[in-house]
Amino acid sequence: MEEFKDYSEEINRRIEEIQTKVLSGEIVLLDTELVSIFENLKNSLNIDNLNRYSSVYKNAFHLLIQKFEELKILINNIDRKEGFLKFLRLKPPDSEINNLLSGCWVKPFNIESLSFNFLESAKEKLNIKKGNPATIDQVEKMEVKGTFLLEISEQKFTEKMSEFYNRIKNQLPCGFEDIFESEQDQIKIYENFVYLLHLLQLGKIKYQKETNFLYL
Amino acid sequence: MNEFTILMHLLSDRSNKFQIGVSKREILNKLNLNGKNESLHFETLITQLSNYIEPLGLQIRFNPLSSHWYLAFQIEASDYVSANPFADKPRLAATLFYTLICCLERLGVAKIQRIKELRKKKRIIDDLKDLEKEGYLELDENLGIVKLTPLIGYQLDINKLIIKLALKLKK
Repeated sequence: MEEFKDYSEEINRRIEEIQTKVLSGEIVLLDTELVSIFENLKNSLNIDNLNRYSSVYKNAFHLLIQKFEELKILINNIDRKEGFLKFLRLKPPDSEINNLLSGCWVKPFNIESLSFNFLESAKEKLNIKKGNPATIDQVEKMEVKGTFLLEISEQKFTEKMSEFYNRIKNQLPCGFEDIFESEQDQIKIYENFVYLLHLLQLGKIKYQKETNFLYL
Repeated sequence: MNEFTILMHLLSDRSNKFQIGVSKREILNKLNLNGKNESLHFETLITQLSNYIEPLGLQIRFNPLSSHWYLAFQIEASDYVSANPFADKPRLAATLFYTLICCLERLGVAKIQRIKELRKKKRIIDDLKDLEKEGYLELDENLGIVKLTPLIGYQLDINKLIIKLALKLKK
């Protein structure tokens, strides 16, 4: 079993460090990444350190609330377009503007190799209603009085049939014999044959007589 | 072929010089998504595709100037220089910045005279003409106005720029 470590002290130290720097004006929370703190908390949480981590989480959450408060103030500032014009009136040098722009550039990605016709035909295919995936209803097991001499498997018949179905469905379509090809045990082949008969009767698998093929 | 392939095509398609990607409505129409949960389906698809393409170094972005969703490369700090289309033309970048702020002030259209007053540099008209040639704006000298095309919204994270500027002003 994987052993989880307790990072509560280290995370708390990091939170305190951020708070001290914020209070001294050294940093602003809006520029500070808090995701790593929550990621660490999430990844190293376990039942043994739950109590300690809850108080660390409280401290981290307090920091997040402070960040939201800073964001609220910032949004109020953004709304004042006059502030931006005031900045322009200060006649900032081109280098200062370019510094502002740096870190904001985006490199768009575009490919034109997929033609529109191809896209249209794909759309048509998507529009075709997809049938519901095949489901097998489980049969209720009944309590009966008395004992049986026959050995009965603990697994339900339908469960075993489902297992068989899930095992072979990716193999389909294929020849009838191909389904039994890999099995050497005659009893197992007979058991699988019974499942197959039931699946054919339920319509989960279909059989084409002319080609001796099984398909979904 | 699945929804993601179609989305990849739509988000990376360039319909003209200024327009890349696709609007939310077009995505919904192309994928035949409608009904009361269409927005939920849309958000799920965008989020899932976003997670899917992240290891490829790509991301899905939104251009507020054209309301188009599009694909972009995730940029490392060292790549910002190569992504800057004005790396060797800082003067043009600054004029475009003035135009952007003036356009924000007046719902997308700015007066050339206003930019001239604020920029206080010679040959502003030449700068604006160069920017028009590059596809960033449309100039109407008769009316004395300038309008941004959506192009800069694809190449510049305008939200980030505004936050940077607001933080600068706050300081």
